[in-house]
Amino acid sequence: MHGFAFVAPTAQAEVTGLLEEHGSEARLLAGGTDLVVGLRTGAIRPRVVVDLKRVAELRPGLSDAGGRLAISATTPLSRVVRDGRVRQWFPALAEAAATVGSIQIRNRATLAGNICNASPAADTVPALLVYGAEVVIAGRAGERRLPLDRFLLGPRRTALGRDELVTSIELARPGAGTFAAFGRLTRRRGVDLATISVCCSVDAAGVTRFAFGAVAPTPFLVADESGVLADPDADPETKDRVLAELTGLARPISDVRGSREYRQAMLMVVSRRLLRSVVDGRGKG
Amino acid sequence: MIGTSARRVGGVERVTGRQRFTGDVRLAGMLHVKLVTLDCARARIAAVDTGAASGVPGVRAILTAADLPRPIPRYGPTYRDRPVLAVGETKFHGEPVAAVVAETEEAAEEAAGLVRVACEELPAVLTVASALDPSAPLVQDPELRPDDLLGRTNIRREWHFGWGDVAAAGADCVVDEVYTFPMVTHFAIEPHAFIAAPDRDGLIIWSSIQHPYLLQAAIAEVVGLPLSKVRVFAPDPGGAFGGKQHAKFEPLLAFLALRTGRPVRLALTLEETFQAVRRSAFEIRVRSGFRSDGTIAFHDTECNALMGAYADIAPRVIAKSGYLICGPYRVPDARIVVRALLSHTTPATAFRGFGTPQVAWAIESQMDEAARRLGVDRLEIRLKNLARRGDEVVPGDRPADGDWAEAVSRAAAAIGWGSPLALGRGRGIAVAIKASATTGASYAIVRLHHDGSVTVMAGTSDMGQGARTVLAQVAGQELGVPLERIAIVMGDTGSVPFDLQTSASRSTVFMGTAVLNACREVRRQLAEIARELFGLAEGEVVVEPGIVRAPGLELRYEELLAQAWGPVRGELIGTGVRRGEHVPAHPLGGPPAFYEFNCTAVELEVDRETGEMLVLRHVSVADVGRALNPAHVEVQDEGAAVMGLGHTLMEHLLLDEHGRIRNLGALDYRIPTTKDLPLELRSLLVENGDGPGPYGAKGAGEGGLLAVAPAVASAVAEATGAVIRDLPLTPERVWQAVEALGRGGRPDPPAA
Repeated sequence: MHGFAFVAPTAQAEVTGLLEEHGSEARLLAGGTDLVVGLRTGAIRPRVVVDLKRVAELRPGLSDAGGRLAISATTPLSRVVRDGRVRQWFPALAEAAATVGSIQIRNRATLAGNICNASPAADTVPALLVYGAEVVIAGRAGERRLPLDRFLLGPRRTALGRDELVTSIELARPGAGTFAAFGRLTRRRGVDLATISVCCSVDAAGVTRFAFGAVAPTPFLVADESGVLADPDADPETKDRVLAELTGLARPISDVRGSREYRQAMLMVVSRRLLRSVVDGRGKG
Repeated sequence: MIGTSARRVGGVERVTGRQRFTGDVRLAGMLHVKLVTLDCARARIAAVDTGAASGVPGVRAILTAADLPRPIPRYGPTYRDRPVLAVGETKFHGEPVAAVVAETEEAAEEAAGLVRVACEELPAVLTVASALDPSAPLVQDPELRPDDLLGRTNIRREWHFGWGDVAAAGADCVVDEVYTFPMVTHFAIEPHAFIAAPDRDGLIIWSSIQHPYLLQAAIAEVVGLPLSKVRVFAPDPGGAFGGKQHAKFEPLLAFLALRTGRPVRLALTLEETFQAVRRSAFEIRVRSGFRSDGTIAFHDTECNALMGAYADIAPRVIAKSGYLICGPYRVPDARIVVRALLSHTTPATAFRGFGTPQVAWAIESQMDEAARRLGVDRLEIRLKNLARRGDEVVPGDRPADGDWAEAVSRAAAAIGWGSPLALGRGRGIAVAIKASATTGASYAIVRLHHDGSVTVMAGTSDMGQGARTVLAQVAGQELGVPLERIAIVMGDTGSVPFDLQTSASRSTVFMGTAVLNACREVRRQLAEIARELFGLAEGEVVVEPGIVRAPGLELRYEELLAQAWGPVRGELIGTGVRRGEHVPAHPLGGPPAFYEFNCTAVELEVDRETGEMLVLRHVSVADVGRALNPAHVEVQDEGAAVMGLGHTLMEHLLLDEHGRIRNLGALDYRIPTTKDLPLELRSLLVENGDGPGPYGAKGAGEGGLLAVAPAVASAVAEATGAVIRDLPLTPERVWQAVEALGRGGRPDPPAA
């Protein structure tokens, strides 16, 4: 491993100060499950690693106020998975977060880290997109917010400025009558990276949203506002046509996890199955 | 004691992290080594600039081929073809062009990254097709084998086996297909680790090696020392699977230790193990003739096996697999052509199953294809052709030595063969035999201490298969000593007598017999002492396990020794040997000591839309002669079954156009996890006491993976109608095959 300085500041202002000073030479450490791998392979060679775990403003935890749930940047995924509010209000996020790595990984890895790593296959991102997550960003100049789809710019690229860090992720509690589910395809049943991932939700107004992962430079959101997909009585062929239009927006690549053709085909299969379970759940709910 | 499931000797240490592996050994003044490699398989090395690297604090030496004797020392168990460092040209991705030695691992790694190698990438031979192409570049210099007619090809060796006359053999149905089995890697959980240290006028080597005595010989030869001056310590490996049989980087470390005068250590990363060992990939064409009732008329086979850049032990693997390609059947006529091909890839070596999984994949799939075409049941066609005890499988060689049909019938019953199947499900059944060790020598020393406890010195390596336990059980049985009073000393060529190797499931039979003979020698000595002490005649003393009896006399061993020796004390030393002599006229140097027979049956479900499979039931039946420790035999068999599921469902090394492994590492090279196991996995043992080992034992532990791939593919074919002839059966490949059926591409006859 390449040598680097290690700093563990206690105040957020110190973090933004260090970021301003070192820019891309500084890397933030929350769970470290992507960072340490990169350090070991040499893919990441920072001059300074800034540990966020002692920053007073960034204590791990989830808090809700005014119908919004905030998940702080240092909250490990295992806490997100276990949290009763997440399970009740954002069940697809709980499902997605539970697929990241292994138990050991989820005890360290954070939700914020999963989005900041900006992997096209990030497991939590499709669910966060479907739930309209907002990223809270702090910098020297203060705080700003971005919808997640504007935060993610490309593989390993985010909208964070030189001196900025993500302090929390916020989700507005969905209205009554919203149902959602997450699904993905992997090469094996044990710990694996997604070949493709899909999150699907249907709201009370009959709008169906899909977010697709691992099939484009970033996970992306699409919606059917016609109500066809949410309609349990709609003709399956018509539904398939709408679904094919939505999944057709994907731009998968071929790699060791799967070919472009397989990914494209599986996007349709998994989306169709998820939609069915969401629409069924809605019918029963 | 024999036939009971004694607790594993060293098992607690192994699972609690207290076992000391080679990588845990720390020596005073030890230096650390990092290899310098290039970013492609084959490149001409123009110059190596170590300037910047030498400046890294802590760097003590940087060795390139120029620093080694000329001609460069070469080593290898089959041919001396592997240079200690690449000379002039790298032959595979990961072959070291230099080695950095430093005070810390970090300094060695940093400096290795600063060694500048001026090089030019050259076209590489990466596939069977290119290895056979006469216009392809030669992987090895023809000067390495000047008298070889094949020296100007990439065919390292070609064998022609067979019997009868295939050309004249008639058949009602001929099945002619090609099967492929990709490169896979061993993925032992313990990566290889090596230490070499100067020791007065000799060398000490620590290695995670299966064959310490062959390593000792390889080092002695490469540095020019007598065997007595090379001592190898071989701590129990953390999994080996054939990948730790022969010298890998120990010769390089020996030179580094001599050069620096200090102990040097190299522990490979998992990624580096992928670049150090793998299984040979096979392309097998089989033309098989059958009579209308399913009887085999002939097999006409051509096996092209892709080795790596250096032969290692792969030619032996390839010859042995081809020799027995026809499997456990009566085959009237056979023609077998086998080629061991060189390529610019990771050197292939032994791998659990020793070439049998590859050939069983082809032949068993042929049996299924014939069954489908002829409308014969897939179980029936196997039972019809299976060799019965005493039948020859290769004319003139060891005949069938087990009740194989019994094993097949038990597997069929356990899987519910013939009972109705739910929609989307299929079953498969397949068989295979592997020839065990042919030749070899094992020596053991058993020391009976004056308190009646026992030390067994045996050169076997316990790499997780449980050799310590089973050898202790043999000694315990013979000498009537409880296991907790027996110590097993292994892994030190300086104190433990010679054992050729730990491979081919040979240790229970070969070393087990040597230990048994040593124990019986101790018992003879006890009888002699009793006769002398009490003035008894031959035949009046009987030595039983733990007890010496004579008329009016019954003494425990330690009581007899105390009476005989008094305060001076002493110990009894028994030696035992089991040798299998080399037979020059035999194509493999000798007939196998036994066959390892396995029948595997599975039931699985296929998701036609995604290609995902779920194995619901998996039954493995092994003919083991006698299970000396049934629990250990079963877990070995189950472990083999799971490993077989790995190469069947998900494992393959993927290369890019530069010959680099694309899925280099645990992230994208997938092996089964506990979540990928069959919902039900059963291991059944056939025990007829008909093996050549102690108490009628045969070797075990490889059988469980031999027939997994054809059994699973057979089940997939029944479930979906899609016949797949390339491994692994990834969900994507199954999906493609099902889609192709839907599009009318290459329709296969419906399952019988």
